[in-house]
Amino acid sequence: MTGKMKSRWADDEEDAAADAARKREKEEKRRAKAEKQRIADEAALKAQQAAAAVADAQSEENQTELSNRPSKRRKLSPEREEGGEKASGGGEVKLLRFPVGGWKRCRSVEEYEKLNDIEEGAYGWVSRARDSATGQVVALKRLKMDNANDGIPVTGLREIQTLMDCEHPNIVALREVVVGEDTRKIENIFLVLDFLEHDLKTLLEEMPEPFLTSEIKTLLQQLVSGVLYLHNTWILHRDLKTSNLLLNNRGVLKIADFGMARYFGDPPPKMTQLVVTLWYRAPELLLGTERYGTAVDMWSVGCIFGELLTKEPLLQGKNEVDELSKIFELCGIPTEESWPGFRRLPNARSLRLPKNPVSQGSVLRAKFPFLTASGSELLISLLSLNPAKRPSAKEVLEHGFFREDPKPKSREMFPTFPSKAGQEKRRRRGTPNAPVRGKVGEIGAVDFSGIFAGREEEERGGGFSLKLI
Amino acid sequence: MAHLTNPLATPSQLYALTTLNSPLPIDLQHSIRFYTARLTQAAGLLLRLPQDITAQANVLLYRYWLVDPLLAWEFSDVSAATLYLTAKISASPRTLRSITNVYTYLLSLPTFPSPTTPAPTAPPDPESYYLSETAYTTYRNRLLNIEGQILNALSFTTHVSLPHPLAITYLQTLSIFSLPPAVSTRVAKRTIAHLNTALLSPQMLYLTHQPPALATAAIYLAAREEGVKLPDGEWWTVFDVEREELGFLCVGMRSLEGFVEEERRRWEGRGVLTREGVRGEMGKLGLNNEVGNGVEEDEESQMARLLDEKVGAVST
Repeated sequence: MTGKMKSRWADDEEDAAADAARKREKEEKRRAKAEKQRIADEAALKAQQAAAAVADAQSEENQTELSNRPSKRRKLSPEREEGGEKASGGGEVKLLRFPVGGWKRCRSVEEYEKLNDIEEGAYGWVSRARDSATGQVVALKRLKMDNANDGIPVTGLREIQTLMDCEHPNIVALREVVVGEDTRKIENIFLVLDFLEHDLKTLLEEMPEPFLTSEIKTLLQQLVSGVLYLHNTWILHRDLKTSNLLLNNRGVLKIADFGMARYFGDPPPKMTQLVVTLWYRAPELLLGTERYGTAVDMWSVGCIFGELLTKEPLLQGKNEVDELSKIFELCGIPTEESWPGFRRLPNARSLRLPKNPVSQGSVLRAKFPFLTASGSELLISLLSLNPAKRPSAKEVLEHGFFREDPKPKSREMFPTFPSKAGQEKRRRRGTPNAPVRGKVGEIGAVDFSGIFAGREEEERGGGFSLKLI
Repeated sequence: MAHLTNPLATPSQLYALTTLNSPLPIDLQHSIRFYTARLTQAAGLLLRLPQDITAQANVLLYRYWLVDPLLAWEFSDVSAATLYLTAKISASPRTLRSITNVYTYLLSLPTFPSPTTPAPTAPPDPESYYLSETAYTTYRNRLLNIEGQILNALSFTTHVSLPHPLAITYLQTLSIFSLPPAVSTRVAKRTIAHLNTALLSPQMLYLTHQPPALATAAIYLAAREEGVKLPDGEWWTVFDVEREELGFLCVGMRSLEGFVEEERRRWEGRGVLTREGVRGEMGKLGLNNEVGNGVEEDEESQMARLLDEKVGAVST
C-alpha cells in the first residue's frame, strides 16, 4: 500500500537502477558510434587510396595504350576531394529542381455529383458539378467523340495536353480528367475544370451598358497576360473570342476552350488555316496562309477589344468573303507597302482591290470616337492587316493605354453580375463555331472593288453633305 | 516549364511492378519491354516518322506498363496503339491503315530485323502481309480500344519532353561545336545514340530521370568515348545534375550493351515477341504455364462475373 501511495517523484532504488541502466546504455551507444566512425573513416581512407591507385593505374594504362586519351580523366579524384571540402564547408551548389508530376489511372466521373447543365460548345457539353469528396464546385466538360474511326479526337487530346501544361491565373485550370464508370471501353471522357460564373459573351449580351473604360482595361490586361503566358509556352490558342473568356464574380478573367490550341515552333510549322471562329479570324488566315504565328491570336485580341467597347462583335461576316470585305472596310485595303508579300498568299491572287486605298485607321478612329488617342492607337495596331505589324502580347501589356487615366479598375472593385450558369440554363448563342477540321473553304475570284465604290459621293461628315453647284 | 520536365514514376509504382506482373520473371519482363520498344522503333522507321515521335511513343509505352500488366494485351498491339496516339497529337500524324499495314508486315517476318542478322535475299511474299478490309476493321477497333485504355491508365498525361534537343544545347554550351567538325559531329552523334539506346533500358531511365540529367549523362559518356576533353570542375552542376545521379545514369547507359547482348543471345532469329512466345518460354523455364495463362483467364472470368452481376442488377 505504502509503495503505491508514495510520491511519483521519490527517488528509490528502482529509479536509481533505471538511471544507471540508462546511463550505461547511453555510454555504450556513444562508444559504438565512435567505433563505427573510426571504422568508416578507415574504410573511406582505404577506398580513397584504392581509388587513387586505380586511377593511377588507369591513367598509366591510358598513357601507354591510348595515347590520345585526354588528361581530363586523371583529374577525377582531386575533384572529389574538392567537392567534399565544399560540402563540409557549407558552400553547396544550388541545383534547380521543378515540381514533378506523375500518372495514375483516371478517376471515375461518379466521384462528381452533377448540379446542372451549362452549355454546349463545339467540342462538348459542359455541366456544373460538385466533387463528392471535397465539395468543390467544378465545371465538367464532356469530350465529343465525333469520328469513332479515329479513336479519341485529336482536338480533345490537344486540349488536354496544352491545358495540363498551363498554370496561370488567367487560364482556366484543368484539375484532372475523369472517365465513365465502365472502363472496358473508354468512351466517356470528362475534363474537370475551374467553374466560373460567367462567360464574357453572355455577360455582354445581358448588360444594359458596356463596360467602363477602366473595366475594359482590367479585362484586356488579364486577357493579354494569359495570351502572353501561352505564347511564352509555345502554345497558340487559335480560338480566342468572348464566348471562350470566362469571368468570375471576383473580377478574374480566364481563357478557356483549348480545342483549337496547339504547340508551335520557330520557324512556325505548316498548320491548317481553318482555325479561329470567323468573326475573330485574322486576314492572313482568310487569305489562306499555312505559316502563321502568334499574330493570329493578337488579331482576335483586337476584335475582343472592339467588342468590349461596343458590346457588339466587331466584324460579323456571313462567310469568309464577307468577313474579308468587312475587315478591309474597317481596316483599309492592304498594299504592297503596308503588307509586303500579301499578294503571294493562296487566296490573295484572285482578289481585285480598289486602286486608291484609304489610309488604315481612319475608319476605326471614326467608329470609336470616345477612345483616347493611345487607346485607338493600340486598337489600330492590333488590327493591322500585316501580321508583322501587330504588337506582341508583351508589347500590349507595356502600352501607354494601361498607364493613362482612367487606370485599370482593381479586381476587387469589379462589379458583380447575377450568375446565369449558377442555376439557369443558358441560351444558345449566336456566335458561329470554330471551323470544322477537314475541308478548306476556297475563296474564288472575288471582286472587292465594290467596297469603297461611291465613297466620293458619300463625302465625310455626319448630317449634311457639301455639294458644289 | 513543361518543356524541360517529365512526370516521373513513383517508387511505389516501381515497387508494385513485381506483383503487377507476377508470376512473370523479371528477365522476361525486361525482354518484353525491350523487344516491344524495338518493334515501335522499327515501325517508326517504316512509317517514316520523325525520331522524336517514335521516342515519345516508347516513353508512353513504358509509362503505360507501369499501370497495367504486361500481359494485358498483345505487345505489338500496345506498341501500335502508342505509336498511333503519339503521332496523332504530333505534327506528323499517320493513318490507322498505314499503321496496321506496317505492323502486319513486321509481324509476318520470320525473323525480327536486327543489325546483326543478314538481310533476307528475296523480298517477302506480299501475300503474307496483306491485310484485308475486314481484318483491318477488327485490327483497328482493337487498337482504338487499347488507345482508350492507355490514355485512361496514363490519366491522359501524353506530354513527353525528350532530352535530345537539350543535349544539343548543352553541347553548344560546352563549346563542343567549336572543335573540328569531324570530332564534334562524332560526339554529337554518339550523344544522340546513347539517348536513343537509353529508351530501351530495362531500368526505364526515361521514367525515373529528368531530361537534363539524361542529356548530361549521354554527353559525359560520348565525350569520354570520343576522347574529347570537357571543362575542368563539376560542369554538370551547371545543368542542375548531381554527381551521384550522373554516375548512376552513366552506369545505366553503359550497362545496356551487355543487356542487349544477352537479349540477342536469347531471342535472336525469332520473329516479333508475342504473348504466346513468352508463355512458351515460361513453360521452358519450368514455371507454371497455367499460371501464366491464368492472368488471361482471371481477367476473362472477372469480366464474365462483372457481366453477370450487371445482368443480375438489371433483371432484379
